[in-house]
Amino acid sequence: MRLGKINLVIIGHKDHGKSTLVGRLLHDSKAVLAQKMREVEAEVKKTGDEGFRFAFLLDTLEEERKGALTIDIMHTPFKTKKNLYTIIDCPGHREFIKKMFTGASQADAAVLVVSAEEGIRDQTKQHAFLIRTLGIQQFIVALNKIDAVEYDETRFVEIRDQLVPILKSLEYENSPIVPVSALTGENVFQKQKRMQWYKGLSLVETLDAVVKPSAPPVDKPLRGCVQDIYEINGERIIICKILTGILTEGKIIRFDPLGEKGRVRKIQVFGKGIDRAGPGDSVGLSVDGIRGVERGEVISYPRRRASVVESFVAEIILLSDITMEKGDVLAIRCGTAEKKCEVRRILEKIDAINLTVDAKFPDSLKGGDVGKLLLSPIEQMSIERFSEFPELGRFVVEGKKGTVAAGIVLEIQPIDKN
Amino acid sequence: MSKNGADSRLLEELEKKSIAIIREANAQFKNPAVLWSTGKDSTATIWLCKKAFFGRIPFPVIHIDTGSKFREIYNFRDQLAKEWNLNLMIAKNSEAIRRGISPEKDRFECCTELKTKALKSLLEKEKFDALILAIRRDEHGIRAKERYYSPRDDNFQWNYKDQPAEMWDLYVKPSEDFSHMRIHPILHWTELNVWQYVKQERLPVNPLYFAKSGKRYRSLGCEPCTVPISSNASTVDEIVQELEKSKSPERAGRAQDKEKAYMMQKLRSLGYM
Repeated sequence: MRLGKINLVIIGHKDHGKSTLVGRLLHDSKAVLAQKMREVEAEVKKTGDEGFRFAFLLDTLEEERKGALTIDIMHTPFKTKKNLYTIIDCPGHREFIKKMFTGASQADAAVLVVSAEEGIRDQTKQHAFLIRTLGIQQFIVALNKIDAVEYDETRFVEIRDQLVPILKSLEYENSPIVPVSALTGENVFQKQKRMQWYKGLSLVETLDAVVKPSAPPVDKPLRGCVQDIYEINGERIIICKILTGILTEGKIIRFDPLGEKGRVRKIQVFGKGIDRAGPGDSVGLSVDGIRGVERGEVISYPRRRASVVESFVAEIILLSDITMEKGDVLAIRCGTAEKKCEVRRILEKIDAINLTVDAKFPDSLKGGDVGKLLLSPIEQMSIERFSEFPELGRFVVEGKKGTVAAGIVLEIQPIDKN
Repeated sequence: MSKNGADSRLLEELEKKSIAIIREANAQFKNPAVLWSTGKDSTATIWLCKKAFFGRIPFPVIHIDTGSKFREIYNFRDQLAKEWNLNLMIAKNSEAIRRGISPEKDRFECCTELKTKALKSLLEKEKFDALILAIRRDEHGIRAKERYYSPRDDNFQWNYKDQPAEMWDLYVKPSEDFSHMRIHPILHWTELNVWQYVKQERLPVNPLYFAKSGKRYRSLGCEPCTVPISSNASTVDEIVQELEKSKSPERAGRAQDKEKAYMMQKLRSLGYM
């Protein structure tokens, strides 16, 4: 049977044991080669800190090992009977929100690590909120360091009861909460021996039971984006990446926001002709009846066509040290398009730690803030709701030195156009 | 589904993503190039480039020549370059070679002078703004920290502590702040995936990978610093089978990986591959 492929992000407050948990998952699943384990053990002996043995598997940068702090993310897979999990460990330190986002943006599911010793801290809530904002729906809580509180049921219940309302406010009310010790391995893979009061599954059993791999969205309406135009043997080939639905040869498609329509005469994949293409396929199209299209255009079938918008409401996270105000013109990248949009109004500033609306109609947002904006494209733009078409409903804002903010489209106001 | 069916579905997924990344790089950068060592990973990568552009790679293919590569590498390079009609460019730090730089004196300096600096000079001369490389996450811990698009600053250096955000597939854009962008289209492939792909696509393979007298090379570097492994695998099929059972890492025979702790990290931060 083919293993499901799942991208897993591990989040949580600093020093609650994320790296140790990941190291434990890799070690116990034998994902790590014996030689690698020996190398790491030799390194650890030098520093003398046995406790960080597993975390060191991921912390390969010199700075990380010396500071016992995971600076950047790394993709490391482990297998269970059911799935192949690619773990994207995430740094928990406040400065590293930007890096955390890069990892989390690739995830299918998240595991929030909370220390039973320390309890819920600021980044516990902040990370959970940010993961929710990215649209990740599969969420599990690992209540770690249960060994440090003597495997005490009272402490587990105490923290669980604090977590439940927070999870509920994030629409994660059905998320399992699993007590573990990454350090001793208790209840990570194997069911508990030292927690007779715990009647649930181990962490890995919970993952296998709860998390489903994302299925390619073949049943959604067709959406794709134009990456480039090539000239091959005198013929113009439109390079397109299919995002949702199925593109079939012979059908008529539209290009938005330009508004052109044409018939797909030929679909080529890497030099051979095919009669249909699905999500993830990067194809070359020969299209009759169009004058000219550009990179950035969105393709769809006329019956359930792509939206061209007058304005849209987005939830936005400022990743860098910038300020955003009403009237600002932002360079927004979505799909393969880059369009200028004006900030018509800042609707809300959201407190990512207390998970409440901090202010309505604030004057500005600054680095680290999360907010809701009303944006208006200055040039014609095709964009969709994240809930319907995630690939066309998520965007980044480009600053002078790269991505400064990331956002999700909550609502769109389409232009009525033929 | 049969194992072969599952494998070919997996390779198809890997391939799709890589080709989309290569096409994206070509769309966004004015003057890209691809690095080729004649090893299996970079040969697979230039094959992916050929597929991405329907047969002919529209940018140069760079080979870094340290003067100490195996003879088989030079032969393989020249033959395939002709067969695949590649626009081949050689990067070579002849001045350092004349000076007598060698790994016996200092391996770090040798890699830096003969590889990193050679590449840097060619980049500056030709003004490439993007380099496509065949590195993979599973090769080495430090490569696992890489992103699909990874900028190098004006000093050719990799600021691994402060990498730009890479959200979803909205990769980092070109910028005047970067000397060039490194593009890593097969970052998510494993060693086994590459060999399975080589087998599936019937790609030409450097003979050094095949066993002779009980030894073969699992990873190809320069002759003085590359150690063969014990093996009898003399065909691609045998290599795939051997890998499926293997317990040791691919680069176990590469000296710069072992030299000192964090040598690869230091090399890479200075612009190494």
